[in-house]
Amino acid sequence: MSTTQTQLSTGATARTDLLRIAAIADVLLLLLAAGLVAAAPADTVQGVVQKIFYLHVPAAIGAYLAFALVLVGGLVYLWNESPAADRVARVAAEVGLVLTTVTLVMGSIWARPIWGSYWVWWDARLVSTLVLWMVYAGYLLVRRIAAPGRQAGRFAAVVGIVGFIDVPIVHFSVTWWRTIHPPVETAAPAALPAAMLIAFAVSTVAVLLLVAVLIGYRYRVEALRDRVAEAVDR
Amino acid sequence: MSGFLRVAAAVATKDLRTELRSREVVPALGQFVVLALLVANFGFDVGTGADRIAPGVLWLTITFAGLVAFGRTFASERDQSSLEPMLLTPASRAAIFAGKACAAAVLLLVCEAILVPAMGVFFNTPFLSLQLAAALGLATVGMAGLGCLFAALAAQTRARDLLLPVLALPLWIPFVIVGGRAVQVALGGGGEINGALALLLDFDILFVVVASLAAKFVLDD
Repeated sequence: MSTTQTQLSTGATARTDLLRIAAIADVLLLLLAAGLVAAAPADTVQGVVQKIFYLHVPAAIGAYLAFALVLVGGLVYLWNESPAADRVARVAAEVGLVLTTVTLVMGSIWARPIWGSYWVWWDARLVSTLVLWMVYAGYLLVRRIAAPGRQAGRFAAVVGIVGFIDVPIVHFSVTWWRTIHPPVETAAPAALPAAMLIAFAVSTVAVLLLVAVLIGYRYRVEALRDRVAEAVDR
Repeated sequence: MSGFLRVAAAVATKDLRTELRSREVVPALGQFVVLALLVANFGFDVGTGADRIAPGVLWLTITFAGLVAFGRTFASERDQSSLEPMLLTPASRAAIFAGKACAAAVLLLVCEAILVPAMGVFFNTPFLSLQLAAALGLATVGMAGLGCLFAALAAQTRARDLLLPVLALPLWIPFVIVGGRAVQVALGGGGEINGALALLLDFDILFVVVASLAAKFVLDD
């Protein structure tokens, strides 16, 4: 028992510390971001509801980065069947799905007072984000239903890759149809007051670091789980 | 390349001959599409503006018929344990996959050939329209590529019937959006159809290529 424990913890010590430091730093950063967002001036037209964007946009960026990681992990896994690549893809998909949920819920809460309804179907960003959610929910379902190991890894990689290709096409299809989404405000940074920009920048960094920390911790858990499974098999 | 086409044609012929002899999928799905119209008829109160909801009903029916048709192609192989022997032959995986996808696409096209006239009777839409045939034909090809890829994947897992709709439906959305527009135009909604047909062709090329590349990894075990 004790040998197993030492075996499982060796090698992970240095990384553990780094992760823990990152986690503590991120908690402080998130608190700072919350303070900056609270202090930032309210939008003259939209009022306080606009502050949703300080979480909504970083969560969307984080989700896209996580799903890009799923794509890369899947491609590497199909190429050389590295268990580490498969683990990265697996944990990134989970984190990405949580962030996509946050993005969708926050966006709907914003849309209700501003657009007058929680959801509109003619907007490309909304529809493609919903499809994104569906694709990666399917991805996690495949992981659960397929036989663990090689089959789950390969099948999930295929779903992750095809899904990643499909989502921009959904976006394009709806744009082709028509769009009423407001242009992204950061496209013209000069128009934003400094307090808003700083709050947005800090909250983006805080959320992205949170993504990295979550992926790091989940990766460690999965790596340990795989080692336990291996030890049990032996 | 000719070897690829020969294998694909042989697999497709085998599947279609099986269907011709057993007569399972087409009669059942033919009945299903007419029943779907019946349900839609009462669900929507078609009395006023039948032609307005016709494209939507058409697409709902086709996507669900497609799920069944594509699901069957690989589920039947699994029931008979006939997929493994086929994979043991030196034929390329992509060719086997292409053959099965072609046969499944043909089955769905036959169902659509039943659906469109039935729609004409119940919803007062045109019976025969070149634009409608082009839109449905192009959409069916791409949907068959993606649908069969995930059907092959789902058939090898435990909960195969559960998995296919969850995986295929979100990825079919581009076909539903653009194909939906094309069908609206073809059924007299106004506007021009060439852009939509060209987009459908682009999607077909992209997803057929992607599905054949991915088929190698799905049909591996």
